Amino acid sequence: MKVKSWQRNGLKPFRAGFFDLILREDTMKIEWTKAPVGRRKFLKGATALGAAAALPGSLASRAYAADAGVLRVRAYGDAQNMDPAHSVGVVEEEVHASIYNKLIQYKPGREWDWQMDAAAMIEQGDETHIKFALRDDIGFTNGFGAMSAEDVKFSFERIIADETESPNKPDMGPLSHVEVTGEREGTIVLKEPFAPLWSIALPYITGNIVSKKAVEAAGGRIGSDPVAESGPYLRASWEPKAKTTLKRNPDWKGEAPAWDTIEILPIDDENTAEIAFEAGELDFTRVSLGSVERYRAGVPNGGTLLEYPSLYYAWLGMNLDHPKLQNKKLRQAIQHAIDVPSVLEAAYFGAVEPSTGIIAPGLAGNRSQSLVPPQADFEKAAALLAESGETNVTLKLDTLNKTTFTTAAQVIQATLAQIGITVEVNVLESGAFWASADNEDLQLVLNRYSMTPDPYYATSWFTTEQVGHWNWERFSNEEFDKIHVSASQLTDQAKRAEMYQRAQDLMEESGAYRFLTHEATPVIHSAGVVPALRPDGLALLRYFGKA
Amino acid sequence: MLLYATRRFGLALLILIVAVTVMFLMIRAVPGDPVQIMLGPRATPELQARLTAELALDQPIWKQLVIFYGNLLQGDLGIDVFSGRPVTDIVFQQLPHTLWLILGSITWSATLGIGLGAYAAAHPNTLIDRVTAAISVSFVAAPAFVVALLSLLIFAVHLQWFPAIGAGEGFWGRLDHLVLPAFAIGLSWVGYIARLVRASMLEVMGESHIRTARAFGINERRVVMVYALRIAILPVVTVIGVGMGFLLSSAVFAEIVFARPGLGKLVIDSITTRNYPIVMGSVLISTGLFVASTALADLINAWLDPRARTAN
Repeated sequence: MKVKSWQRNGLKPFRAGFFDLILREDTMKIEWTKAPVGRRKFLKGATALGAAAALPGSLASRAYAADAGVLRVRAYGDAQNMDPAHSVGVVEEEVHASIYNKLIQYKPGREWDWQMDAAAMIEQGDETHIKFALRDDIGFTNGFGAMSAEDVKFSFERIIADETESPNKPDMGPLSHVEVTGEREGTIVLKEPFAPLWSIALPYITGNIVSKKAVEAAGGRIGSDPVAESGPYLRASWEPKAKTTLKRNPDWKGEAPAWDTIEILPIDDENTAEIAFEAGELDFTRVSLGSVERYRAGVPNGGTLLEYPSLYYAWLGMNLDHPKLQNKKLRQAIQHAIDVPSVLEAAYFGAVEPSTGIIAPGLAGNRSQSLVPPQADFEKAAALLAESGETNVTLKLDTLNKTTFTTAAQVIQATLAQIGITVEVNVLESGAFWASADNEDLQLVLNRYSMTPDPYYATSWFTTEQVGHWNWERFSNEEFDKIHVSASQLTDQAKRAEMYQRAQDLMEESGAYRFLTHEATPVIHSAGVVPALRPDGLALLRYFGKA
Repeated sequence: MLLYATRRFGLALLILIVAVTVMFLMIRAVPGDPVQIMLGPRATPELQARLTAELALDQPIWKQLVIFYGNLLQGDLGIDVFSGRPVTDIVFQQLPHTLWLILGSITWSATLGIGLGAYAAAHPNTLIDRVTAAISVSFVAAPAFVVALLSLLIFAVHLQWFPAIGAGEGFWGRLDHLVLPAFAIGLSWVGYIARLVRASMLEVMGESHIRTARAFGINERRVVMVYALRIAILPVVTVIGVGMGFLLSSAVFAEIVFARPGLGKLVIDSITTRNYPIVMGSVLISTGLFVASTALADLINAWLDPRARTAN
């Protein structure tokens, strides 16, 4: 198409590259016509464009000093789901705990304890009944009214309802239903006693109370946007994989939170988070164990290092069903040949302590010492190996492809070599590793699980029922299974502790376990922040204060 | 030109189909029960069974492939298991961040690379040429992840000239956050493009039309910049097209190191968690991007140089 001569037709062309915008003066109409652009013109333009793009733009002045009202924290993942029933864990709970309320919340500090939240009163009536009364000053956003006992009933019962398909259903244990006895009064009814309800359900993921009316209006499920909030913060915005912004809830009648705004930045890599902190772009983050020594000497920008034990437990497991590991003396030889302090020095930079079992310090059931001391006893190990009658033992050790575990595997390989056991380290990618339940050829495995602050949660993965699922050692012990069930029904913490200690003794006596560590949660925070952390170092954002 | 474009488009489509099919088969060959990995250890058997049926994982591979392409033709890439959001929304939300990163990297690297190469070619076998060569080769040799970490430490932590993490907000904010990542992954391309332009220009400088231009008394600067560079720049167009694809893979580590959202990290995370719908959606878009950029480069090349059409 040719461009019409503007002189002949009373038109004024505006050249815009490939196409000309022609403004007809007579009718004021706009017509587009295609203008021919030759190769020379194109190359000229492209070169000019490239040169222009290289010019520095006017960069906004950098103000890295934190806005006084904005708290910037790092999360290791992105909180995608605002439905407590389908929460996948800590990442989402950090947001849920700020925008929703529970009957009770964890108390920040070094000892596990809880405090009132939405409940004005809560008490254990008898072994299977927990009475509660709500505060009268909590309301939901978007016009869904005051929080009532019906909301509590709805929130808890939907967790255990089959149609919800909540993966968090086990946390509610033997919950039967919630009786509504008044506008804000009710009773939680259990089918049988369940002590962990107080430590892993009510103050954690499944304890979040949502609005019945709002969820029903949304079709029964909350997606990536909350349908109604009630907490001290509101989720103001979410940029997927970039930032979640929480803003102070103007209608919150409880104790006012210290920060106007909380920005949660999903940063997968801990080294990146550390650099961001040092650049002044984060106020709080967990740091890697390799950086602990450096931060003990001093945290940049006037920050502070805090070290907390974690609820993880790492161990070396042995598959009791594998033909090579049927001999108990051999397994015991392996237990005694692994030098745990060496493993921790190499893999964890010496920043963690040896564990005594699967239950972390501070929880009922934590053992003061393990049956097999953490230090290797090569003489004893060699003697046990000789007693076993096994010779030329070669075993495969499966491990996740993370530096910590591959390093630990290499140390274990070296120490077992000292008694003549050859270990082949088999490094697996995450997906393949976590499918090891189906691997009948699994021999040795370096594993790590997490837990909630109740020993019930730890023992649940090692029952006979879990063989072929998460019990990779195929450990099956009747006494252990009984302890797992009966200890959860006791409210006497001392008695529970005794039983869980016995459970870990049984695990160790089988020879299938060499406990390594509970790892640690080192965190750093900037000078203006007073963090509120659980005893395992996880953040309770709604309680963060200002210095 | 139309015929060439049609053939090129057809080839691009074929490449896309083959690449996506291969990826489809590869992800399903990776060990591990995807449903169990996706849903975690506490998913009920009913939920696992429902998801298995939803994703057609209980069907033969060939049938799964047919279902995938059938849905694709209807514009349906599926629903994300975790958030319940359409895969298209998730992927297209992350795509602009990666595009910004790639375009930013290729723009500055092409600009500087072309300039360096032209300058070196204009001063062949001189100290300037040798210094430029050394600089170019050192840029190519510098590992991108080392450049990224060092630039973070120097410019973000120590000097605080640029932000360390994130993608920023607003135009200038995004530009500000783009500088260091684009610098890190574009640096090696500066050297590569500079060497390419230098070699191409030296070849063109020996052509008869250059001699003619000089004979007519046209000044040397004009001869280099107008007569020689315009021809010599043609191979760079093809390289940039291919480079877009390689930069897409470099974008993955840049997104991790600089904690930027983007398609690369989305792919990594979804493969790790066996989130099949997201994996396939991301792979489709990123492969499409790569194929489109190479096809576009070929088309531009053919338009700029008619000989390319005939040769093909």
